[in-house]
Amino acid sequence: MKRSVKAVFLLGFVCFASASLFGGGAGEKAPKYPTKPIDMIAPAGAGGGWDLTIRTVAKVLTDTKLVPVPLPVTNKPGGGGGVNLAYMQTKKGADNLIAVYSPPLLLINLNGSSPYGYKNTTPIAALITDYGAFVVAKNSKYTSIAQVMEDLKKDPASVVIGGTSAVGSMDHIQFLIMARAAGVKDLKKIKYVSFQEGSGPAQVLGGHIQLLSTGLSDVRGLLQSGDLRGLAQTGPERVTTEVLKDIPTCKEQGINEVFRNWRGLFGPPEMPEYAVNYWRKTIAEMVKTPEWDAACRQNSWTKNYMDAPEFMAFLDKTNEDYKAVLGEIGMLKQ
Amino acid sequence: MDVILSNLSLGLQVALQPINIFWVTLGGLLGTIIGMLPGLGPATGVAVLLPLTFTMGPVGALITMAGVYYGAMFGGSRSSILINTPGDGAAIAATFDGYPLAMKGRAEAALAISAIASFIGGMISTIVMIFTAVPVARFAIKFGPAEYFLLMVFALSATAAMAKTNVVKGFISLFLGLMVSTVGLDAQSGVSRFTFGILELQGGIDFLIIILGIYALGEVFKSFRMIHEGSRKVQTKFGPIWITKEDWKRCWLPILRSTPLGFFVGVLPGAGGTMAALMAYNNEKNLSKKPEEFGKGAIEGLAAPEAANNAASVGALIPMMTLGIPGSGTTAVMMGALLMLGLQPGPLLFEKHPDIAWGMIASMIIGNIVCIIINMPLAKMLVRVLAIPARYLFPIVLGLAFIGTYAINNSVADLFIMIIFGLIGLFMEKADIPTSPMILAGIVGGMMEQSFRQARLISGGDWSIFWGSPICITLIVLTVASITWPILKEIKRKKAGS
Repeated sequence: MKRSVKAVFLLGFVCFASASLFGGGAGEKAPKYPTKPIDMIAPAGAGGGWDLTIRTVAKVLTDTKLVPVPLPVTNKPGGGGGVNLAYMQTKKGADNLIAVYSPPLLLINLNGSSPYGYKNTTPIAALITDYGAFVVAKNSKYTSIAQVMEDLKKDPASVVIGGTSAVGSMDHIQFLIMARAAGVKDLKKIKYVSFQEGSGPAQVLGGHIQLLSTGLSDVRGLLQSGDLRGLAQTGPERVTTEVLKDIPTCKEQGINEVFRNWRGLFGPPEMPEYAVNYWRKTIAEMVKTPEWDAACRQNSWTKNYMDAPEFMAFLDKTNEDYKAVLGEIGMLKQ
Repeated sequence: MDVILSNLSLGLQVALQPINIFWVTLGGLLGTIIGMLPGLGPATGVAVLLPLTFTMGPVGALITMAGVYYGAMFGGSRSSILINTPGDGAAIAATFDGYPLAMKGRAEAALAISAIASFIGGMISTIVMIFTAVPVARFAIKFGPAEYFLLMVFALSATAAMAKTNVVKGFISLFLGLMVSTVGLDAQSGVSRFTFGILELQGGIDFLIIILGIYALGEVFKSFRMIHEGSRKVQTKFGPIWITKEDWKRCWLPILRSTPLGFFVGVLPGAGGTMAALMAYNNEKNLSKKPEEFGKGAIEGLAAPEAANNAASVGALIPMMTLGIPGSGTTAVMMGALLMLGLQPGPLLFEKHPDIAWGMIASMIIGNIVCIIINMPLAKMLVRVLAIPARYLFPIVLGLAFIGTYAINNSVADLFIMIIFGLIGLFMEKADIPTSPMILAGIVGGMMEQSFRQARLISGGDWSIFWGSPICITLIVLTVASITWPILKEIKRKKAGS
């Protein structure tokens, strides 16, 4: 035991030492970059979409030898990404951390759960898009999203919708955006139930909720087996991977709207220019590699590369869209 | 039946390949060690393995990760018993009677029974899984929010028995726990509750941090005086790691009762090993002829939760494997790893990749045997922790508690939360308020409240959802029985006494 205790202490010291190393901040000039490990942060626990994305990026960058330094992945969960966002504020000007974010980055700021938003980061590039999906149990009376919307138009409280995110975050908002486009009034009255710990699919399977609003690839297994029926996907056109290609888009069903679960990389606020340039260049090269192609295919991600300026403009526009929906349901806190 | 047996033999062929025996041993060993370290639970263990799994291939990865999962259930209780500091959430219940047993000089028996109970719990559950994985998963999805709520009420109902000595103080403790569980972003309204603008509190307070505060720090605080006087007893002579016939007589039935309970709670997405262990503990306390011994070193009070949490870890794999629904933090990480390896867990996994699915299940039989073989000699070394004088031991415990707390979320704020709860624990100790109702309430409180509100939202405020299904009614009956049973027993005993 004594020996293992020593080992634990050693481990602890290594952790602390490396933490203080990472926290060291950036020098004035950096002729050679990068020389030290870069912290790749998933602002949520291991196993989720952010985690999968950042790990894939780190793996591809390492496998293709595009980045010569180690890229350890750290999970900083809490507050729907808000905890890491606050942490990044303490790393202003650092050149050694990159985090992945997606729509919640904007939503948690707009709905007031985080005082910081995308403006408090340095957007580097958009990488991929995943789309949302609306699914029902195989014995459901609904066979199209239009039928659901018809019922909601008659009585907005007539269908119980479930999702994994909290009220006012992604799964909720993606459904409301579609409902609004379909002409449903009184979005506030739509029943949305949040299920944590990923039990949402079990709830829709068991018939406790009528419709699950989720990520397109989150329920692939259950769609393949036919236990769940996909009513609609939220992209501009169908994702072409096997079972997902059979799910019609909202657009095809007369709802002229798109919801993108975009994911991109962000540096801390005031990230030094040399670091930003390095990462813009590196990511631009990464998205051209066959390894990246393969990873995207495997996860049924749609490639959606945008360089920093274009990404920033996209974020500005998207932010306005979300603002409108949150305003309508009375969750806008700004 | 024939199909299952042929599948099983296919699985055994996979699992018995030397490389896979190596993986399962590695997983079990790693799990045991990670489980032992406070704060580092199976989810962290599997996450640490992630980069390594890329090179293993799906079968190896799955076998190793599952090994870490149940290995951690074996390991978690080691530190609960020896230093009153649970290695992970599922080992909390092991502190209740495990540590008092060690203080009574029965650490060897405590370590032995926890390994034996873990083994039996894991083994029976694996066999049950082989035959019933799919129907069990289909039954689990019948649990909607109303059923979850009643299950949590049932879990809490046992506190009525816990608080028997001083009802008011018991309820103070209970409500403290419920209050703590409301901190954080409320998922049903998107509103932050009791976070006072502190972002770190938005995710709620991880209950493991509270436990580390109350138990690990609490134990250090409590022992300050003893350290100073040098009056803390140190055990110098150690017997073999084994149990007596008497111990076994007290434990076999609780183990067999707790295994199915733990297994089923494990299958339910979101419930998990911590809850399974606590429910098993309370259940045994209720059924025991000598409930007053619980908390003072009753060996069956250690055996029951240990069997239950291992059973739960096996059960938790079922929704992931058969439905592609990860019901716990650990299975979520495992599923992430499988997706990165290009494997889609779900109902078709068993059809499309029977070698992988059955290989993993069969490996668990081997894994459980490996784990008990690892754990017995390990216990023999570990038990010597009790020979360390307090002035060396407690600084180590403190260090472990801090490292463990930091490891949970990589957050410094959590360290302060732990210290605060250490002080709260000290205060409760001084005021003679029991801490276990608070811990139980804190663990089930969050889910109880959320399920309640989910159910009311779904039914549109109609209360009948709470007795609308046979499962609901069964749970109500169980709850009523669990509240009245101890009272009836008390009355009977008084009558017999007078």
